[in-house]
Amino acid sequence: MNNRTDTSSNGEPPHGVSRREFVGQGAMLGGCALLLNRVACMQGDLARDAAGAFSDAEAARLAESGETIYSVCLQCHTACPIKARVYDGILGKIEGSAYSPQNMLVHLDYETPLADAARIDAKLCPKGQSGIQSLYDPYRIRSVLKRAGRRGENRWASIPFDQAIREIARGGRLFSGVAGEEDREVPGLADHYVLSDPAVAGELASDASAVASGELTIEEFKTRHADHLDLLIDPDHPDLGPKNNRFVFLAGRIEHGRKEFSQRWLRDGFGSRNWFEHTSICEQSHHIAYQQMTHQWNGSGWGGGRTHMKPDALNAEFVLYIGTSPFEANFGPPIMAEKITEGIATGRLKIAVADPRLSKTASKAWKWLPVKPGTDGALALGLTRWIIENDRFDRPFLEAANKAAASAAGEVSWTDASWLVEIADDGPAGYLRADAAGVGSAEQFVAVAGGRPVAVDPADGEDAVTGDLRYEGQVGGRRVKTAFQLLWEECSSRTLAQWSDICGIPVADIEEVASELTAHGKKASVELYRGPVQHTNGYATAQALIGLNMLIGNIDWTGGLMKGGSHWHEMGDRRPGPFNMGELHPGKNRNFGVKLNREGSRYDASTVFDGYPAQRPWYPFTSNVYQEVLPSAAAGYPYQVGAVFMHKATPGMSVPTANSQIAAMADLDAVPLLLSCDIVIGESSMYADYIFPDLSVWERWATPHITPDCPTVVSKVRQPIVAPIPEIVTVFGERMPISMEAMMLALAEELGLPGYGPGGFGEGGDFTRPEDYHLRLVANLAAGDSEGDEVPAADADEMELFVRSRRHLPPEVFDAARWEAAVGSDWWPHVVHLLNRGGRYENFDGAYRGDKVAHQHKSMIRFYVETVALARDSMTGERFAGIGKHLPILDSIGREVPDAEYPLITVTYKEIFGGHSRTPGNYWITQIAPENAVWMNRATAGEMGLQAGQEVRVSSASNPDGRWELGNGQTRDVVGRLKLVQGIRPDVVAVSWHYGHWAYGAEDVEIDGDVVPGDPRRGTGLCTNSVLRADPHLGDVCLTDPIGGSSSFYDTRVKVTATAG
Amino acid sequence: MKTDISRGTAPDRRSFIALAGAAAAGALVVRSSTTAHAQGATDGMDALEVMHRDLDRALAKPVEERDWGMVIDTRKCIGCHACEVACIAENTLPPGVAYRRVPELEVGAYPDVQRVFMPSNCFQCDNPPCQGAAPEGAITKRPDGIVEFDYAQLTDPAVVQAVTEACPYKAVSHDEGGAWTDGTPAPQPYETLDAPEYGVEWDRAEGGLPAGAARKCHFCVHRLETGRLPACVTTCLGRAMYFGDFNDPTSTVSRLADSEPGLRVSESLGAQPRILHLADDPATCQACHQ
Repeated sequence: MNNRTDTSSNGEPPHGVSRREFVGQGAMLGGCALLLNRVACMQGDLARDAAGAFSDAEAARLAESGETIYSVCLQCHTACPIKARVYDGILGKIEGSAYSPQNMLVHLDYETPLADAARIDAKLCPKGQSGIQSLYDPYRIRSVLKRAGRRGENRWASIPFDQAIREIARGGRLFSGVAGEEDREVPGLADHYVLSDPAVAGELASDASAVASGELTIEEFKTRHADHLDLLIDPDHPDLGPKNNRFVFLAGRIEHGRKEFSQRWLRDGFGSRNWFEHTSICEQSHHIAYQQMTHQWNGSGWGGGRTHMKPDALNAEFVLYIGTSPFEANFGPPIMAEKITEGIATGRLKIAVADPRLSKTASKAWKWLPVKPGTDGALALGLTRWIIENDRFDRPFLEAANKAAASAAGEVSWTDASWLVEIADDGPAGYLRADAAGVGSAEQFVAVAGGRPVAVDPADGEDAVTGDLRYEGQVGGRRVKTAFQLLWEECSSRTLAQWSDICGIPVADIEEVASELTAHGKKASVELYRGPVQHTNGYATAQALIGLNMLIGNIDWTGGLMKGGSHWHEMGDRRPGPFNMGELHPGKNRNFGVKLNREGSRYDASTVFDGYPAQRPWYPFTSNVYQEVLPSAAAGYPYQVGAVFMHKATPGMSVPTANSQIAAMADLDAVPLLLSCDIVIGESSMYADYIFPDLSVWERWATPHITPDCPTVVSKVRQPIVAPIPEIVTVFGERMPISMEAMMLALAEELGLPGYGPGGFGEGGDFTRPEDYHLRLVANLAAGDSEGDEVPAADADEMELFVRSRRHLPPEVFDAARWEAAVGSDWWPHVVHLLNRGGRYENFDGAYRGDKVAHQHKSMIRFYVETVALARDSMTGERFAGIGKHLPILDSIGREVPDAEYPLITVTYKEIFGGHSRTPGNYWITQIAPENAVWMNRATAGEMGLQAGQEVRVSSASNPDGRWELGNGQTRDVVGRLKLVQGIRPDVVAVSWHYGHWAYGAEDVEIDGDVVPGDPRRGTGLCTNSVLRADPHLGDVCLTDPIGGSSSFYDTRVKVTATAG
Repeated sequence: MKTDISRGTAPDRRSFIALAGAAAAGALVVRSSTTAHAQGATDGMDALEVMHRDLDRALAKPVEERDWGMVIDTRKCIGCHACEVACIAENTLPPGVAYRRVPELEVGAYPDVQRVFMPSNCFQCDNPPCQGAAPEGAITKRPDGIVEFDYAQLTDPAVVQAVTEACPYKAVSHDEGGAWTDGTPAPQPYETLDAPEYGVEWDRAEGGLPAGAARKCHFCVHRLETGRLPACVTTCLGRAMYFGDFNDPTSTVSRLADSEPGLRVSESLGAQPRILHLADDPATCQACHQ
């Protein structure tokens, strides 16, 4: 098997290679047709003996055959720890890791010998197992591709890596051979890398901020910084930051390890603020609601917080799942499913599922609540009303106004239920401060106890404050209400019958679920994820739903709501050494300014402010507002961009209202230079100017974090399992496969970015290879978060096994001496111990402590968020609400979106065997489901005269033709087969989201003049993202939650019509 | 508007996981009770570990004293299809060959609807109907209960068809010789891994057997004999799959068979299947299969 020798390793350009050699390594393998003997690989020369037992010695031999590497999957973001079996250098089987609590219930103790763990194959979902087919995808690219036709035309030339790096850095007439671009000068990255002096950047940033806040006039600023005004995007608006911000990094599926790697490069090296990932197309408003509600008071402001909590389903007696299916998606099935099935089968657990579609989880539920999309907030408030009216909330928990009171009540967390909120003329405003009430300082809050206002210091562990829940009146001359009173007023603003009418769930069911939710003490919870929040009202809805958990006081209790065990910290900032990555950065650049999509900035606190509505929305409370990046570039608001680097990103397919994302990518003026790095030519990378091959997840490094569904501490490490498929190149004099990391290192070398090359880590050593970075993170994990927290050192046998199990890896990937040098000889045996297990895992016995989870939130969680309440929507100029609410579906300027001529609401969902945009080449899965379909209620189809299996088109008011507009005159119809079921609301149609490809190997592409034919199996079915509703005011971006930033996936009204065919 | 699928479940139904664990491993009980988890006891183990111990005991006996069988708890099947993919990967199955399937059925009318997942594979019948449809000696019963296919005798298209049609459980597939990467720019190396079935290292990559033959599940016999459980069992996300030795009264599968109201699918046909299905309401399931 010589698959790792033909890697253009001599630096020769791969010109002239044939299409088959170019596109996959398989061409080399096809002629070999080696018979790989799996039994021999597993057992060595162990003779098969049908009558014989498998002895301990044989088990040990199996373990030590040197063919097993523990790593981490990424077929979805759950990122399960895996045990990879390698046969003659080929990845042949992927199992779940038995060391991992995501894959075993109960997982093996961390010190279980490798030989004992070897024969236990833990569970893994079908996507994870199909990873072999993503790794060995016949359509993988090996060399850099440069556009040889118009954007999106899919005509490519393979070019040498060094040439691509040089062109991107320097710019020029890069596409003079393309019709219409003969004279187009493309600015290179060097043209945007203008501010590189961190001292200058610091002064500019500080004074730009002073201009925005009105402390400094623009004239004073210009005088003070006359020598540096040319570094800024706009000297009249210095708060937009330096020209460096014109370079934008847009990541799709990126995870820890690579996040930090790329942020060091873009933010701290290049000096651009515009680093984005994709969370707003997933479940961002859910994260933002948790984060805002769990922000802690630091004495002068609110900060910190947790973005995600989960039910302790292992001990729960009741869980209400809202718009999420842990058997199919969420975060994620391998860890979530068995706790639920076991609980249901043994009678311990009862679940209810609110979802317009009968998901697989709902099919096992005690009660399915087919809620109308976008009305989960109404359901939440109906439940809230019943719980408060019937006095079924946990009063002692809610009355505790600070830490001391919580302790006295046997709790470790507490709420703001009894805190007073000032009621301004235009509604609830900030919390009342103790100085205004005459009972304390401006840094304290106020509750009413026995009719008297008392100061509240939330973190006070000595003096308990227990407050009245239902107070309203005047304190210190100000009109006030408690947070709990505001919640009551919100939920009692409508009758139960009215809430029922809105959400489509009968009153009796709301009552029954509310009763069940409050019948199990602390051992019940409400879980929400993507479904209820990917709406324009997502944040407010999430706040109302999370509030249900607070009403039953389940935070930190076994069977209740938990923060999860979390992880050790790979950036090395928790203990002295080994590697504090933030500090090991000589010459570290400083980035500042308003981000391209205005996330994290307030419109009314910027120099761009010009009344309402703003030209485009600003998003002060969220981040990673993915859908707004390319449309902002196209609009040039708040500034023009120079280059966009898409890493594993496919905005052209995965974002609602996708056609405008495609149009922006195809627009040379909007994005003068478009780079991509991915393993296959995908639906978005096909519009790029350059595509760099990436390493797949089975060939590379990362340190993914753990879902909070896990009660114990976990730090996973992804590491190379097999030889790389991309070609080998030389960067900083080092040979390595092309990857995101190699690309960033090479551009750092070409541009002279700080913190790279020899001495790149300062005293911490050289940074010339990807693993120079990643191994230091691994060493930090091995060292733990405090002295004495280290993993054991590998013994001699384990050291030997480590090297032997990597004997199939080429020196460009694995060099034991080089790896050891990266972390130092003292840490090396600890690193090896960790790598031999693919991470580190707390034992199961660390999960629980008495009647509480061991790893606790143990701080505040709040019904009312004053910072949100005090902020104004950049488009309407109205204040946001501080309390959980049900809001109608609204566009960016606050208008309802009736679309009355479109009778149905469309939703998407995910089958467990499909991963959004990246599994069309997983052929094993296509045997299970060759295509998806449009799911419709049988009765609805009857009324509309539609038949099962009929071909139908899905269209909406913003895409009345039901088409993908792919540019260059190409379109694709949003057309699929109709599937009729009983398990869906009659007014809803559902289409799973992982089919409908027009790239990723589905259609022909041309490389070096040869046509690489597409595979029709990869293009089946339909994807409805292009049909999802454009914001009527903006037109070029989907409906969006103005607070949480979530893109709307479930608010689009559609028509489903039979096609002529 | 409510969907109650708990009908048919006896209120005193015991935790069969705990049962199986207790039986198989003595003090080593798989903790399924709330209290045990909450207390963070240290004696718990995954059901897989318990079944591995069952397996070790069985492998210590002569092959003719083993009595392999499966228990499939349909109440815990979540329809994830992990078992199907695990089976394909483990056995290097080509397109069109499925040893394992999880068909799905929707029952009821909106909003009282339920989706039922029905995992199944070769039932390794003690009176296998396929045997009579094949040439003498082509299909045999191993001493441990597994139904063995002799691929060399099962390539005649007429025989393949007869064997396929004879199986009441639709467990037999025809290997038509294809590869997953047929029609793509490059064949891929994972497809040339051998499939060590029935103790033979088949050379299918060169077009040899079992290409062209009738094929079906063999309980991953190559895994059993190296001390590992079948791939569909180890990968089951809902822990619906149990495997072991029915000849060992302390094994997980024996305990489950003794304690739970199980269903032998289409038992009336007389095939004597070696797979027991558990369901909330076996009578309802049985009705569909008669």
